[in-house]
Amino acid sequence: MSSATALPPRGMLRIATDATLDKLLSGRGIWPAVPAIVVLAAVAVIPFGILLSLGFSDIAVERGAIISQTFTLDYVRTALADPLTFTVFQRSMVLALSTMLLCLFFGYPVAYLFLIGGPWVRRLILVLTIAPLLTSGIVRTYAWLVILGGRGLVNNTLIEIGLIERPLRIINTHWAVLIGMAQIHLPVMILPLIAVMSRHDRRLDEASANLGASRLGTLVNVILPLSVPGIGTGAALVFTISYTTFVVPQLLGGGNYLNAATMIYEQVVYSLEWSKGSVSSMILMATCLVVLVFIALITNHFTRWTKGREA
Amino acid sequence: MTPRRQLADTLAIGAILAVAVVALILLVAPSIVVVIISFDTRAYVSFPPVGFTLDWYAKVFEETALVEAMLNSLQVGITVTGLCILLGVPTALVCVRGRFPGTTALSVFVLVPHMVPGIVLGVAVLFAGALVGVGPSIYLQSLSIAVFVLAVMVRTVMSRLQRLDPALEEASANLGASPFQTLATVTFPLLLPAILAGAVFTFVEGFDNLSVAIFTHGFRDRPLPVELLALVQTTNTPLVAAVSGVQIVLAIVALVIVAATIGLDRVNE
Repeated sequence: MSSATALPPRGMLRIATDATLDKLLSGRGIWPAVPAIVVLAAVAVIPFGILLSLGFSDIAVERGAIISQTFTLDYVRTALADPLTFTVFQRSMVLALSTMLLCLFFGYPVAYLFLIGGPWVRRLILVLTIAPLLTSGIVRTYAWLVILGGRGLVNNTLIEIGLIERPLRIINTHWAVLIGMAQIHLPVMILPLIAVMSRHDRRLDEASANLGASRLGTLVNVILPLSVPGIGTGAALVFTISYTTFVVPQLLGGGNYLNAATMIYEQVVYSLEWSKGSVSSMILMATCLVVLVFIALITNHFTRWTKGREA
Repeated sequence: MTPRRQLADTLAIGAILAVAVVALILLVAPSIVVVIISFDTRAYVSFPPVGFTLDWYAKVFEETALVEAMLNSLQVGITVTGLCILLGVPTALVCVRGRFPGTTALSVFVLVPHMVPGIVLGVAVLFAGALVGVGPSIYLQSLSIAVFVLAVMVRTVMSRLQRLDPALEEASANLGASPFQTLATVTFPLLLPAILAGAVFTFVEGFDNLSVAIFTHGFRDRPLPVELLALVQTTNTPLVAAVSGVQIVLAIVALVIVAATIGLDRVNE
């Protein structure tokens, strides 16, 4: 510690402590990160391993504690053979993919507006995008109950203008879940798109215009290809949360609407079939990963000019 | 460009911008509807409202279960934030400043729990706890949510660290400060805005998280999201709207803090 010698002389012990502190906390070595690594290992990595092992085990649970565990492939086999498993995961998959596409449809134009807008438009878009992310998911889902409910905004408006006589049943349908989910996850799509747009070099658009391209032509041939990484990130994030979300299907889908998350909840919390719940969680993770890899491959395929420069 | 092509171009761009405006309205309209409903005088949820009252807000604070749930969530939020600062800030420092192979691996490792779906983490922690005899409780809930959102704190602080002007720390070292003194008196104060912004995000997650909490919360210490979920499913009065109104106010406060600390345009990093 050459710098320590420049300090006014103090007791040997004090200098030794300083040197130790310097070594420990300078951030050059791994020590400051050790507590986090230990906690992550204990509360995430090891639990994932246990989750995996429970899927392949017959277990006995007594008063919330696992008292015995024996190896079996029965739960994996049963789950894979069960038509309900297939139906539930297929439903979740279709729902998540359609949510992703809807979010892209509504999110990309916002990103384009962000790109061409002035500072005030940009600030407004940031506020409107980030504010919902800081609001509880239940609150935002509840809002859709108010809007789509039997005596909600949509039904009352339709009755008022004489289009229908009785309220439509919108809540507790697949459509309610899709609408709610797309709106609630929209900010997650917009944020990565905005990130790409704020790095976008507007001189490229000018060059494109000077070469005779229309604004639409510039959007399709210059801006869109350059924003592919943002689309990939947004799509991956929206897919993951939509595929694994619990609140929206539970509240807008009604009691009988099962998606992967609500099924896992029922298996773990209500019927206490922990091995079944483990298998379902594993299927959830595995299928999610497959789609994420697929999204990454497509993103990579369509990423032009900037390959290797941007994440 | 021919006039016809120009018209087509204007129409296409106009349509795209119209979708953008609709999307922006969609982002906030539902929350505004909830706030409007929370002042309705009727005992059932319907839109538009017919009167104005603050009774539902008064009722929120009369319901012991709700107040207790809010206090529980407040405790979880504070614990999660504290844990994330204690564990996350040093980790971010190591990820950026580390002089050993594996700093990249470390920064990826920290992100892993955040990449995993919340319900899977919740289930995993519940099962692991059951194996070693640790039942669900407010502490288990706080710890698992902290692990879930630690990545947010690490990334916020890392992004600030990477943009710090190295000249400031070099100057401090040249003036005779030890690395630790530099860290405490120069680097740390410069990192404060990022830590505060990270604290807001981790607090909000601790307060609002449901996916991890439904599996790990204590049966007697129900957090607000769990209580609220049950309430939404069992009551049809604007009481839930009033709770939502309170939560929306908290979200606005959080937004203002984030805007004042790191700036909204840095949220992405």
